[in-house]
Amino acid sequence: MAKTYDYLFKLLLIGDSGVGKTCVLFRFSEDAFNTTFISTIGIDFKIRTIELDGKKIKLQIWDTAGQERFRTITTAYYRGAMGIMLVYDITNEKSFENIKNWIRNIEENASADVEKMLLGNKCELNEKRQVTKERGEQLAIEYGIKFMETSAKASIHVEEAFFTLARDIKTKMEKKLEASNPPKGGHQLKSFEPQRKPPSWLSRCSLL
Amino acid sequence: MEDDLPTEYDVIVVGTGMTESIVAAAASRIGKKVLHLDSNEYYGGLWASFNFEGLQKWMEDCRKPAKSSQEGEVTASTKEVEKLIKAGNQFSTVFNIEEKWYIVEELAESEEGQSVSKITQTDGEEQGKGGGDVDDAKKAEDDETEKNEAEEKPDAGDGKDVVTSAPTKQWSQAKVKKEYRKFNLDLAPKLLFARGSLVELLISSNIARYAEFRSVTRVLTWLDGRLEPVPCSRADVFATHHVTVVEKRMLMKLLTMCMEYENSSKDFEGYEDKPFIEYLKSKKLTPNLLHYVLFAIAMATDATPCMEGVARTQRFLNSLGRYGNTPFLWPMYGSGEIPQCFCRLCAVFGGLYHLKRAAEALIVSEVDSKTTCQGIVSGGQRLETEHLVLGVGYAPPDFLQTAPPGGLSRGIFITDRSILPADKESLTLLQFPPVDGVSEPVTVIEVGPSTNACPPGMYVVHMTCKQQKTAREDLQAVVENLLHMEFSDGTVTRIDTDTQSTQTASPKKHSQDGEGGEEGEEEERKEKNDSVSALKPQVLWSLFFNCPETSECDLTANVPANVFLCSGPDLDLDFEFAVKQAKEIFTKMYPDSEFLPRAPDPEEIVLEGEEGTPGPTFEGDTGKPDAEGEDDENKTEAGNGEEDAGDQGNSEGAAAE
Repeated sequence: MAKTYDYLFKLLLIGDSGVGKTCVLFRFSEDAFNTTFISTIGIDFKIRTIELDGKKIKLQIWDTAGQERFRTITTAYYRGAMGIMLVYDITNEKSFENIKNWIRNIEENASADVEKMLLGNKCELNEKRQVTKERGEQLAIEYGIKFMETSAKASIHVEEAFFTLARDIKTKMEKKLEASNPPKGGHQLKSFEPQRKPPSWLSRCSLL
Repeated sequence: MEDDLPTEYDVIVVGTGMTESIVAAAASRIGKKVLHLDSNEYYGGLWASFNFEGLQKWMEDCRKPAKSSQEGEVTASTKEVEKLIKAGNQFSTVFNIEEKWYIVEELAESEEGQSVSKITQTDGEEQGKGGGDVDDAKKAEDDETEKNEAEEKPDAGDGKDVVTSAPTKQWSQAKVKKEYRKFNLDLAPKLLFARGSLVELLISSNIARYAEFRSVTRVLTWLDGRLEPVPCSRADVFATHHVTVVEKRMLMKLLTMCMEYENSSKDFEGYEDKPFIEYLKSKKLTPNLLHYVLFAIAMATDATPCMEGVARTQRFLNSLGRYGNTPFLWPMYGSGEIPQCFCRLCAVFGGLYHLKRAAEALIVSEVDSKTTCQGIVSGGQRLETEHLVLGVGYAPPDFLQTAPPGGLSRGIFITDRSILPADKESLTLLQFPPVDGVSEPVTVIEVGPSTNACPPGMYVVHMTCKQQKTAREDLQAVVENLLHMEFSDGTVTRIDTDTQSTQTASPKKHSQDGEGGEEGEEEERKEKNDSVSALKPQVLWSLFFNCPETSECDLTANVPANVFLCSGPDLDLDFEFAVKQAKEIFTKMYPDSEFLPRAPDPEEIVLEGEEGTPGPTFEGDTGKPDAEGEDDENKTEAGNGEEDAGDQGNSEGAAAE
């Protein structure tokens, strides 16, 4: 199977309903936006391959499928995720307060070294703003993660956000690969492998 | 939080067990409006897998008396002909819970991280001798490693790679608890036959993308008081040293006969009404072979009828050679992932999920002596539905004509090493036959850290059998044969190898072939000598419990025609029963619809349509307020195919194969 990429990163979008996770995803993967897009029906994940430092990185970005609505995200959703975009809506105080709960949820279910990033979405709606940029920054500092205000609608910083997250994952990964020097003993490498291997491995066999 | 739910559905599913979740996914997939509830805060009910803390919480919940809210009156607006029937309480059904630690609560400071064990004294001479054993175990285990073996052998001689490290960690309760997140402990551990109906369904429905699997690396059996690898494949049969050449030929002939039963049925003439064992005996199999075939391959007993034995043998053989060296797959992160995968698909197609939300009562109407379920009362809300799917634990007691005829006895053990250490981590299935004081066959599954069942340095052993007395009593004999389940304060080094004559190298890293797992945490080699007992894994923690086995219950007798009850975990090794039941339920609800047609692959769609025009995509969407509408077949396209008209053709083409 010819690989068309050097790395595959599984990313997740997490945050309250209605903060614009799916719109962020569509802006990034399709460069499209539509306000009538209300719920997350039918969207599983989206793919976009980007290039960083000459490496082709395939980003597989998973949406919550609406299971965040009553906090019923499956533990299976978190498996193998390497990066998580925590999204709140700057015009919705509650969605910002809930970020802490989502982080707790992530700590409970995702791998301990998952890269996280905080996004304050809908920043084009400045007149309705309930959460100042400073508070977003402050919260990000508190958790030691990066922060950006984005607008899926006006296409502000969405691209940058995903590139930043991807770059951080790549850096972390390469550091680990280097550290576990003997190429055979790459524990980290193995933890990547199951992510792309077994699924395709199953489906490939379906052709037999 | 606004907890109000929409009030009308095509299907309400209560309980997130395996059958329920498959039905939910299948209904949602064809465009039905699905609400999926579970009174627990986790998915899976009695099919769930928990981390260590989650399991503690589960036990607490089980011990609590039935929730008082359930005892109170349920009120909701009902119409004249309707009455309310209170839903059942699932937790009344788990009993005989016995949890126990076998290690100290906390280690003294100085002992922290100290390695207690001295693993081996090896020198070059003994190496050669040990090499033979490496061969045996490995070939039986995984013939793919053979090529690696060649590379390893030279290493083995130079004593450098020889086991020196392998500090057998000393565990304390505190240490285990601290690593609680690294456990995935299954209430109902299940394997998948590589060509079983679940694997086929996962692939055909494209739900396989939500799960990861590892193949079971070896099948063991208990023969003459010790564990023996069962030769699984043709290659195994020829490689094994436990079977003579003559036996090999006999075995191959017999297995071929079973496989080609349809062509050679006259060979079975006269055995139709006799036990399988009679037939095997008539083939003049040696006792060893008879044991392998009867207990390990057919996973049968003395009483299994001949044709069933043949069918079971076929099932085993049919699943060989697809993935890995055995016919079985094990879900990464445990069996509890699988129901969740179906829930995810249900959600992706619009299913609404709410955990920690019970159905307090069913609204049932009776017109012309025909009872119909109108809906449920949940959170005080009246929720109407055309069909109701209920996990058996939620079923009103009146719906179940008789109490479940039997139960399951379960044991979960966290141990410090494998029941049969090998030089790399094994994933083991052992069907413990009814011998040596064991009255019912016991299914033993041992999983290690590479499946995320537990932290490095430990193993998790699952035992399941038909209930006779309590779980602890039922499993006692097998436990005694396999495990060291007595308190150990760590001061006695219960390490075996000092007494051994040989010790083999176990090069740490040679598992790049993937399947078998990460490098073996287990560096010691088991030698075939009589110090077997000293080698038994130390149990760090154990849990026993009993739960009902409802697969044999009549789940339709007292139930309104539009209510479907789903069994809990069954005794079988695999998920076949749940898949079959789900399919039957779905077919009763929607006889003319396809069961879980292939979900389009977002990856495919995006790859094809990447450079397409995103604009029209959304225009199509705006004109579709009825996206959840009735036309089943179009749901896929409405939901997923909208990116690009071209994609529809693509995904459909793929679905049609």
